[in-house]
Amino acid sequence: MGKSKQVGNHKNGRKKNIAKTWKTKRRTKDLDQIHADMIPANAAKLLKQEVDYDVTGFGQHYCLHCAIDCRRYFVDLKAMKEHFKTKVHKKRLKELREEPYTQAEAERAAGMGSYVPPKKVEVQTQEVEEDMA
Amino acid sequence: MRIEKCYFCSAPVYPGHGMMFVRNDCKVFKFCRSKCHKNFKKKRNPRKTRWTKAFRKAAGKELTVDNSLEFEKRRNIPLKYQRELWNKTVEAMKKVESIKQKRRARFIMNRLKKGKELEKAEAINEVKKNIHLIRASHAGQAKKLEEKMVQKLAEDVQMAD
Repeated sequence: MGKSKQVGNHKNGRKKNIAKTWKTKRRTKDLDQIHADMIPANAAKLLKQEVDYDVTGFGQHYCLHCAIDCRRYFVDLKAMKEHFKTKVHKKRLKELREEPYTQAEAERAAGMGSYVPPKKVEVQTQEVEEDMA
Repeated sequence: MRIEKCYFCSAPVYPGHGMMFVRNDCKVFKFCRSKCHKNFKKKRNPRKTRWTKAFRKAAGKELTVDNSLEFEKRRNIPLKYQRELWNKTVEAMKKVESIKQKRRARFIMNRLKKGKELEKAEAINEVKKNIHLIRASHAGQAKKLEEKMVQKLAEDVQMAD
């Protein structure tokens, strides 16, 4: 018998139901969608969103790369900067440094063409403007 | 009708099998079975999942770059049935397949050779390291010392004479 993985009984701020997060009904963004988001034109739109009172922090603090977990909005700049230092964020950046997987690659792997190694993509944490003075 | 390839594991998806997922940006993903679909939903990377073809190719487990892999193609132009062409194509397919199988097998055998070499080197290293279990490093030293003493005594006696 191994040790139980459960830690504590309160699930605030943690995933409450993993099975639900796997449903395609409430699917979060995939890596290739984030790659599309990282195109400067799209990125600018996402980073400068209009004030939306329904979203955390009015949608003013958005982490571009971590949209894979769920929509990553932060309460304020401080919280977002704190997030940039976390393992979750760094892990995500590392995953994004490789070209996204495609159906074409699956077909090549199945014997329709030779293997082409995935290209490297330069990814850095988004810049934050410092106008807090 | 067409035999598709699974997005996750690259297995063939025959008509009436597997499932198709259309993401809300209209991108289509085809899966051969629920296993692949589940793994996709969990956002696993096929390149990192050890049982997929994509992993095996990326990790150099299988033949990756070869001319025999260039025959199978997605052809989008329909051809009118010609008996001769059909026969020829079937013949060619058989030939290509046999060559492909041979090359694949050879590649894997060559890959496994490396392990044999490493195994041998490791065995030699182990014997060298643990030789003291078979023969103590100071074995026979007492006898050698005795012989030396006897020789020296004899020499001393000679000198005295």
